[in-house]
Amino acid sequence: MKLDMHCEMILDEYRERIPILNKIREVVLDILQRTMKENNMVVTAIEGRVKTEKSLAGKLELKGNKYHTIDDITDIVGVRIITFFSDEVDQIAALVERMFEIDWDNSVDKRKMLEIDRFGYMSLHYICRIPKSLYEDPQQPLINEIRFELQMRTALQHVWANMQHDTGYKSEVEIPTEHQRSLNRLAGILELADEQFSRIRKEINDYRRNVQSLVASGNFDDVPLNGDTFRSYCQLKPFQRLAVKIATINQAELYEDSPMPYYQVLLRLEMKTIGDVERMRSECSEGAYQLALIQLAGTGLDIVAYSVALQNLCIVKILKLGFGVAGLTSMFNAIYGESAYNAQRADRIFQQAIRSNLI
Amino acid sequence: MDITIKNEGEKTLVTLNGRLDTTNADQFQADIQPLMTSPKPDIDIDCSGMTYTSSQGLRIFLSLQKSVLARGGKMVMLNMNPQVKEVFDITGFSNIIAIR
Repeated sequence: MKLDMHCEMILDEYRERIPILNKIREVVLDILQRTMKENNMVVTAIEGRVKTEKSLAGKLELKGNKYHTIDDITDIVGVRIITFFSDEVDQIAALVERMFEIDWDNSVDKRKMLEIDRFGYMSLHYICRIPKSLYEDPQQPLINEIRFELQMRTALQHVWANMQHDTGYKSEVEIPTEHQRSLNRLAGILELADEQFSRIRKEINDYRRNVQSLVASGNFDDVPLNGDTFRSYCQLKPFQRLAVKIATINQAELYEDSPMPYYQVLLRLEMKTIGDVERMRSECSEGAYQLALIQLAGTGLDIVAYSVALQNLCIVKILKLGFGVAGLTSMFNAIYGESAYNAQRADRIFQQAIRSNLI
Repeated sequence: MDITIKNEGEKTLVTLNGRLDTTNADQFQADIQPLMTSPKPDIDIDCSGMTYTSSQGLRIFLSLQKSVLARGGKMVMLNMNPQVKEVFDITGFSNIIAIR
């Protein structure tokens, strides 16, 4: 590739700047990773690169006369944040605007550039500088002066951009019309998918909020039993009183664990609403406590898990329903996986229950 | 309580024999200290020779598992005899500790 003297001078300056360009990339990635973590934001990827000499030379060959100095090229350091959902691009942009100095004149929201009847590259590009408040090295003042490009896009936008890039054409202008049409059609599908993913997530979040208020209202017979409602119900600590009573048997420490593994047992017991779980709790609590008394008294075991309350409630419910050893074995198989031990344990509990008139 | 710790490639095999109770829990805790520091551990605890565990033992297994998971590793207790398994079952620890 033959470049004119002006472009060669820009390339020389680029070579001298490589250590500081790498430093900028490293500092920006570090700032972004920390900020995402502090704001509990989960993204698909945060990646960065310093343009290679070959790539820069190619750019200079194409449009070298556009650049007076190396500082006019704003994407030598490029960083990209890839989100799961389209609405997260705006959330991250808001964070970025607060963190970095944005060169608004050169920043582009490609999402807004597309006309209503066109589909294609959708991404938010900010040209930024690292402010001294975030990083400063008196030995390297250029760190706060050199601009870098920060791209924000969704995973699906990223897929499309990569697929288009993979065609080998540097710009969409070069792509033959019939292939450009296919690519744009695909962009339309992915844009639709992005919108749908965001909509579905919003609906799920709304549903969860509704479930929480429904459970909190205490109208348990109106609350269908599913993973979300049971989780919300568990947050009310419905088995706490029984668990504390069981712990008192040996003045034991109560270890907080999740009762969620028993959700599948409740389904097997054909419980349809949280009200069904509540009824089991009130009808079987005494039996569940008696079972714990038989098993724990005199053992000296002074730590018990919170979930043992629900475990014993399920055992008593199964016995009351007359499902016997087979029912208990099935419950243990569901929770721990199938093993011969589960049948032995079920039989032992069944015999204990008979001896203690639990059934 | 006898304990042997063997490293087999990326896996650590811990073999327990005898009773784990108040008389030897401190020693057991000291013996497993090396397992509390290695990065991303993969620990199998063979319990076929273990005849009993007290609540001190449960607490030690719990803290070991927490430490292992915090380091991105995994730990599983294997071949528990029915007497020891019952201790885990009636305390609800079967729901907390990975047992196979």
